[in-house]
Amino acid sequence: MSLVVIGSGPGGYVAAIKAAQLGQSVTIIEDTEVGGTCLNRGCIPTKALIASTSLLSKARELDKYGIDLNGTVSPNLEKIMARKDKIVSTQVKGIRGLFKSWGIKLLEGKGRLLEGKTVEVLLNDGSSISIEADNIIIATGSSPAHIPAFPVDGINVLTSDHALVLTEIPKSMVIVGAGVIGCEWAFIFRELGALVTVVEMLPRALATEDTEVSALIAREMKKKKIKLMTETSVSKVVVESDHIVTKLLNGPDVVAEKMLVSIGRAFNSTGLGLEEVGVKTGKSGEILVDEQMRTNIKGVYAVGDVTGGMLLAHTASAEGIIAARNICGQEVKMDYSCIPAAIFTSPEIASVGLRDFQVHEMGIKTRTGMFQYRALGKAHAIGEIVGFFKIIADEETDRVLGAHVVGSEASVVIHEAAVAIRNGLTSKDLARTIHAHPTLSEGLMEAAEDVHGEAIHLPKK
Amino acid sequence: MNPEGIKYHKEHTWARIEGSMATVGITDFAQEALGDIVYIELPELGASVTAGESMSDIESAKATSPVISPVTGTVKEVNSALEDEPEMINPDPYGKGWIVVVEITGQGDLLDAAAYDAFLKEESQ
Ligand SMILES: Cc1cc2nc3c(=O)[nH]c(=O)nc-3n(C[C@H](O)[C@H](O)[C@H](O)COP(=O)(O)OP(=O)(O)OC[C@H]3O[C@@H](n4cnc5c(N)ncnc54)[C@H](O)[C@@H]3O)c2cc1C
Repeated sequence: MSLVVIGSGPGGYVAAIKAAQLGQSVTIIEDTEVGGTCLNRGCIPTKALIASTSLLSKARELDKYGIDLNGTVSPNLEKIMARKDKIVSTQVKGIRGLFKSWGIKLLEGKGRLLEGKTVEVLLNDGSSISIEADNIIIATGSSPAHIPAFPVDGINVLTSDHALVLTEIPKSMVIVGAGVIGCEWAFIFRELGALVTVVEMLPRALATEDTEVSALIAREMKKKKIKLMTETSVSKVVVESDHIVTKLLNGPDVVAEKMLVSIGRAFNSTGLGLEEVGVKTGKSGEILVDEQMRTNIKGVYAVGDVTGGMLLAHTASAEGIIAARNICGQEVKMDYSCIPAAIFTSPEIASVGLRDFQVHEMGIKTRTGMFQYRALGKAHAIGEIVGFFKIIADEETDRVLGAHVVGSEASVVIHEAAVAIRNGLTSKDLARTIHAHPTLSEGLMEAAEDVHGEAIHLPKK
Repeated sequence: MNPEGIKYHKEHTWARIEGSMATVGITDFAQEALGDIVYIELPELGASVTAGESMSDIESAKATSPVISPVTGTVKEVNSALEDEPEMINPDPYGKGWIVVVEITGQGDLLDAAAYDAFLKEESQ
């Protein structure tokens, strides 16, 4: 059986490898670089930059740790970017190596569906070929959304893609959109020394997170002197030769050297021949799929960002595996109820399961356990006392429904809560699991204990 | 113990009222209980504050807690030096550690120094 995968981001390349492992003959088509957005313009390069900026922030506090610095600490953007580029190219080679080892054929060019399960590939060298396959997976991902009001030129008005290749640190930056990408960039630029203003239409930053998470991150922005303006929207952008004036519907003008637009993602579903073949798409151009990642056309599957939804790399990969397994005759469905997610602001944020406002909307009766980082010995030892652990459990069954961690290493700490939710464990199960001391994970255990008012390191309520 | 001539709120804040203006801060008891102060979220100039309600958040090595305003009115001045050196509050809560100046339209149920001292004694028993 043969499979063609269009797009080699975390959705496509994982699907290709899984299908090859299960015995399919796989061809993958990629028009830019293997690894997709995640590896080339998303998760990995931003986290490489954040590694530099977090170290910079620590270096500025060396004195606090009892270390004398004989000299100054300052970022060198050229070297920071070079380090990031090297990390990306090493990972790219890694994926190419995996394709080779699993016998996956990589075609570098643009793929398009034709009738009868044929994919036409316009190769990067200008030639084109057609390949037929028993099944097709579309994993073409997403790109920064463009809205005419924001005159993106890659020089003054940027998207995240442009920010990743800046050669100079801007003195000031206005970021439009306080979603995950906007917030991560806000901390990166601030740490590098730019004056940062974030403008958000909604009442809070990171509006899809628990409200207490948004409140804490808003305060951390304030501490770092990142100006967050919520419930305002941009009415006009005036690009002058050396600065940009952002006019707001309700608020004073914001003047900054550069603007970063992070207002959402556009689904890469055009030019793919979807209409010609009859693959159904939704309002925003996302490809419609069922729980088995099947489109309405037999043998055509779609996974990852192009299907809308969560826009997370690991969701794309999980969907890729589901599609590959279904293609190979295993009947499996995607389960979205327990997908952890991390946001690499400073401090980190991680969450899994239900948020406070969802619990409220759904009318579920719950108990909440809360524990502060500053109550942990380990947090003091490492000098990272900001943040909290929060567990939401069902009042009746005590099953863990949601967990939210803001603080150092939140992205690592969250996973035991994911295991708990996935397996229907209770807050007591978490509380009674012995946690090594001294660790940040103890905070999750104490939050679980606090669900029943039994945290050891909290005063009596 | 606690200085005379200023008024105290039971939520461990103080107000030095001069005419229609009040300088506001946290008490020595509060700074002692909080321990090393690492951050204070200052109210904005022009913000209105209400006696008995939170006007800002203060973070220490031990806890994050609200600062309860002893007076009602409009913030006319903020001690912006606290932005970079919040730890100034610890050694001098009634002096350099002042938080805001409020143009007052009202005040909470405030105690004088002797009554606040007595209140603290009572609380600790
Ligand atoms: C700045 C930023 C930071 C992010 N950080 C995180 C994070 O920390 N964690 C996280 O989970 N997610 C993060 N994401 C989201 C994550 O990158 C995406 O969810 C993920 O890449 C989606 O994978 P995908 O395979 O669906 O698509 P993509 O990764 O977008 O890959 C699709 C690939 O298909 C190619 N393609 C498109 N059309 C065609 C065609 N016709 N023919 C051939 N090839 C084609 C594209 O060029 C691309 O290489 C981040 C995104 C951004 C922008």
